Amino acid sequence: MEIKVNHHSYQLEVEPQETLLEVLKNKLKINSLHQGCQEGECGACTVLLNGQPVCSCLILSPQADGGEVLTLEGLNRGGELHPLLEAFMENYAIQCGYCTPGMVMTAYYLINHLNNFSEESIRKGIEGNLCRCTGYVQILQAIKAAKKEKDSGRWW
Amino acid sequence: MEYHRPKELMVALTLLQELKDSCKLIAGGTDLLPAFRRGTLSLGSRPIVDLSFIKELDYIKKEKEQIRIGAVTHLSDLEGSAIIRKYAPILADALRHMGSPQIRNQGTIGGNLCNASPAADTAPPLLILEARVLLKSVEGQRVISLDQFFLGPGMTILAPGEILTEIQIPIPKDEGGFCFLKLGRRNAFTLSIISVAAWVKVKEETFQGIRIALGAVAPTPMRALKTEKYIEGQRVTEKTIDSGAKVVSSEVQPISDVRASADYRKDMSYILTRRAILSCVTPGK
Amino acid sequence: MISKERRILSGKGRFIDDLELPNMAHCVFIGSPYAHARIKTIDVSKALKKSGILAVLTGEDLVKRTEPLPMLSDFSGRPGWHWRAPRIYPLAVEKVRFHGEPVAAIIAETPTLALEAADLIEVEYDPLPPVLDAEEAMKKGAPLVYEEWGDNIQLHTLFNFGDVEKVFQEADRILQVSWRENRTSGFPLEPRGCLAMYEPMTETLNTWGSYQCPFRAQHYISHVLRLPQTNVRVVASDIGGGFGNKINIWKYTVVCLAAILIGRPVKWHESTREFILTGPHQRDVRWESEVAIKNDGRILGIKARFIQDLGVEISNRDYAAPSIVAACSCVPNAYRLQGLRVEAYGIVTNKSFYGAYRGFGKDKGAKFMERIMDLMSRECKLDPAELRLKNFIQPHEFPYRQISGLVYDSGNYPVIMQEALRLAEVDTWRKKQKELRQKGQYIGIGMAFVVEPAGIAAPNARFSGLVQARVRITPDGLAEVYSDRTEIGQGAERTNTLVISHILGVKPEDVIIKPVTSDTIGMGPISSRGAVYSVSALARAAKAVKSIIIKYASAFFKDDPGNIRLEDGAIYSVKNPENRLNFKELADRFYFRPGPRGLPQEMQMNHEILLDVSTSWYSPNNAQNPTTTYTTFAASADIAVLEVDIETGVTKILKYVHVHDAGKMISRDTVDGQIYGGIVQGIGEALSEELIYNERGELSTDSYADFVIPTAVDAPDIIIKHFETPSPYTELGTKGMGESPIIGSKAVIISAIEEALSPFHVRVSEAPATRERVRQWIQNGPAR
Repeated sequence: MEIKVNHHSYQLEVEPQETLLEVLKNKLKINSLHQGCQEGECGACTVLLNGQPVCSCLILSPQADGGEVLTLEGLNRGGELHPLLEAFMENYAIQCGYCTPGMVMTAYYLINHLNNFSEESIRKGIEGNLCRCTGYVQILQAIKAAKKEKDSGRWW
Repeated sequence: MEYHRPKELMVALTLLQELKDSCKLIAGGTDLLPAFRRGTLSLGSRPIVDLSFIKELDYIKKEKEQIRIGAVTHLSDLEGSAIIRKYAPILADALRHMGSPQIRNQGTIGGNLCNASPAADTAPPLLILEARVLLKSVEGQRVISLDQFFLGPGMTILAPGEILTEIQIPIPKDEGGFCFLKLGRRNAFTLSIISVAAWVKVKEETFQGIRIALGAVAPTPMRALKTEKYIEGQRVTEKTIDSGAKVVSSEVQPISDVRASADYRKDMSYILTRRAILSCVTPGK
Repeated sequence: MISKERRILSGKGRFIDDLELPNMAHCVFIGSPYAHARIKTIDVSKALKKSGILAVLTGEDLVKRTEPLPMLSDFSGRPGWHWRAPRIYPLAVEKVRFHGEPVAAIIAETPTLALEAADLIEVEYDPLPPVLDAEEAMKKGAPLVYEEWGDNIQLHTLFNFGDVEKVFQEADRILQVSWRENRTSGFPLEPRGCLAMYEPMTETLNTWGSYQCPFRAQHYISHVLRLPQTNVRVVASDIGGGFGNKINIWKYTVVCLAAILIGRPVKWHESTREFILTGPHQRDVRWESEVAIKNDGRILGIKARFIQDLGVEISNRDYAAPSIVAACSCVPNAYRLQGLRVEAYGIVTNKSFYGAYRGFGKDKGAKFMERIMDLMSRECKLDPAELRLKNFIQPHEFPYRQISGLVYDSGNYPVIMQEALRLAEVDTWRKKQKELRQKGQYIGIGMAFVVEPAGIAAPNARFSGLVQARVRITPDGLAEVYSDRTEIGQGAERTNTLVISHILGVKPEDVIIKPVTSDTIGMGPISSRGAVYSVSALARAAKAVKSIIIKYASAFFKDDPGNIRLEDGAIYSVKNPENRLNFKELADRFYFRPGPRGLPQEMQMNHEILLDVSTSWYSPNNAQNPTTTYTTFAASADIAVLEVDIETGVTKILKYVHVHDAGKMISRDTVDGQIYGGIVQGIGEALSEELIYNERGELSTDSYADFVIPTAVDAPDIIIKHFETPSPYTELGTKGMGESPIIGSKAVIISAIEEALSPFHVRVSEAPATRERVRQWIQNGPAR
């Protein structure tokens, strides 16, 4: 299969039953992705596939053939953390960090696409990303702060 | 694992003609993969035919009398579609409360219907919209009314070799109010304990038309035909709505499972139906 | 040092999922489909023949090669205690006793191959009837989990504090109070896992992974595998949440054994399903009681029967038996109680084992008391806040000797309560409540006050107070920190850094918090010990290093020690600011250049020349007051307003206020994070979380689909206010606070629901208050 991951193109040999998560983690050694519930219930494995948040544990790798994947690593530029990730750090939105890689990809999508940016709609937007540590409050603060960064031009 | 990824419908149908019931169809994978994980389906034991690359099955079209939706259309595309929001907003409403954004981005309408969970949230709205499904095989095609499509939990009328290719929604001619309500164990990203879709048309303070469908309270998503019959023609009063809604609890056949008891589902089928009807008749509620 | 957060965000995380070694094999556990059955035969021969399968272990293999799982809590011989522990192994021997109990471990080249081999293992079971309810298990004729016991009682004792008979005679009224919390647990997003490798040259079994307490894990593994402790080394990787659920490491020992047997590294990372099926379960307690009160609202005493459903055991897989002691001794909570008698039972059933989960046991006592307070307020027709204020331990009474033997260090409860009432605008909500009731809408204002005893030190469960910390200035001028305080997401790394940075005046980026390993002695971050023991030990070590630095600098600068300051990475004299060294220069002199330009002679003669201090810390509270298992006592008030839809049972939180006093805070934002997270966990416990076994003993709620935890939509906005009443017992005045948020929140939600439904005379005596239950309570009518 052919797949673009974090701006690089790859040609890979895969077994059809390997999930996108397994391919990204085991073959491409994407550090940020982790085995979560494996059932699409927790969102820890969320990546952007062709721009949309999906649970990579639920996608058979051939289904991503020809597609583009973005993970947390793909947000960073050179040695610079993406403003969204800086916002997560500054707002104490990371405790154990396990939900974070999936959470930030969903947040990235929301900040870029959500029209009505209310507290309620942000919460609904991350309903598929469970967090057991933070109680979500500081995550919301981080997402709002990141949106401000985007609005003031500091974004990519 | 034997895996096929046809890019055209005809190729898929031909494959299915050979493989028949031995294979499993996959589109979004949001039901199939969890089933593999839980061990209810053994990965690798059956050939997989992946429909997700059949672009010709991914569409939302508005025609004069109906909306046609390709079976491989993603739930999120449906939810965000201007056509659906205009002509079938109750479906968009139901979709908004289904799964999570990730599930909606991957899951397809065809997959959701063919999985035939009694709790499928797309079914009650589609039932009251009197949707039809187009089933194709190499031998031909047939159009079935959605209320004939579900046969039991996980069972549909699809014959071996058939694929559901399109959902057809007649564009509602009559004005009327729509309402979708859902109850789960938490406020978001939750399987329905019960869902209700209602359409009501009122003329001169009388129920001229009414359709009610419920999910998760019977072996299949169901229309509450007895209730509809009871209410139609009656005057629109709190009393008739209340007694009409009570008829629903006699029509439903819920089970008790880890999510809820049959009693609670029966009770809630009355409560939610009453609220749905009230909402339909009260503008802006 | 790059912070853990920055590292994870840069794609340099080190969770067990990320760890890899060359030639690594994988371990997968196969679980029993039955809740209770005899194992007639196990045939692994077909699995072994499969290509890529390296080994298959069963219970019999463990019997030959390992010690049975040790008894981690030992109450035997204690007067008045009935106590026993089973002889068990991580893999079932002769019998399976809970759904999912591991019967075999497959070691294979890949996890997929291992799963395929699972189908080739043939086990013949002889199913037995399961016992699935603690009270049923206590009845004669109930199926026996351990036949040799003759019954299902693992623990039975009587706690008797104060003078219960006397106060019951003085009572104006006796109230009957029942309260029950159903089974639940934490299940953080990352399940358990580890990587083990035996290094033959040094004869060391190395293991990395999601170990919440590496020092204790080392001890446990070395015991089970019959290795000297010096030959076992445990290193905590990045951990995706603990909450106490990763203190148990019984499955990890099998992975370690496998690594030794096959001579290759072995990795294991369970699925969420396995975590829930075979993980530590908690709560699941029932209280039946009589409460002696005065008409004016004073509580005098309590007589209670307490039953805790232990699942298969509470003694060998996890350090959890003291949770019963905690539950009973923490009943008094924030109040002056004169008598408390609890007959406590720990009953075994065919469910997964009892373990540790945030709150542990002290949460149960407090929640029970808060139910009593609410009930008293209704019976005495007193405002629930007034009632609590009346019964509070008063500020001037600290340190307060509670009748249970706990010595509360410090606190000001009235001020916390008053502030919570003010912030929550309770008066306004009461007016609103009245108006809404006229319209048939029901809101409730709930209250809960919780004292969190933190920093357990209890001899019977190997929970000694001992903790070690080491601070070392490296030869190139960084401050290296060795602590037992494993980072599990609670901010250990960040707050440890702040402590060192504050004391030594070094920049936070020059503080290196080393990964926590078994090399450092300590109980780990359990029982909110981090801020009590670990931080105190660290502070003590840092202060010792500081005093050595000052001694040296004063000699070197020929200046008075009183003039020496450590600030901003520099050591200088206030009197003569040109006398200045940075840490690199200091370290360079120390390590490499003795003599006239180096160390003062006196220091050399006294051998006080190391910038490397290892110290222990023991609680002065424990030392002076041996009956107090806990050292610090944070306090918090929760007030929640919620609306109950009486037709569906759905609740909606309208306002949530949490006022908190955890002594001196090191990082307010970190404390806030713990509060937000704990509150949402408690809300989950109050409204939806429940581990449900069906009548065959199969766990129906074995995934996040059915074990329902709060999403962002379910979590409310939370208002927090802090007070800081320092602890007189810790080095910096800090108090452990990680658990109070989960306690108060569950109590307050229950309280608010009951309050909302007071027109219906509903008494909420069970959690979770699921929608269906709430509806049922309303429909059933007034409480008996």
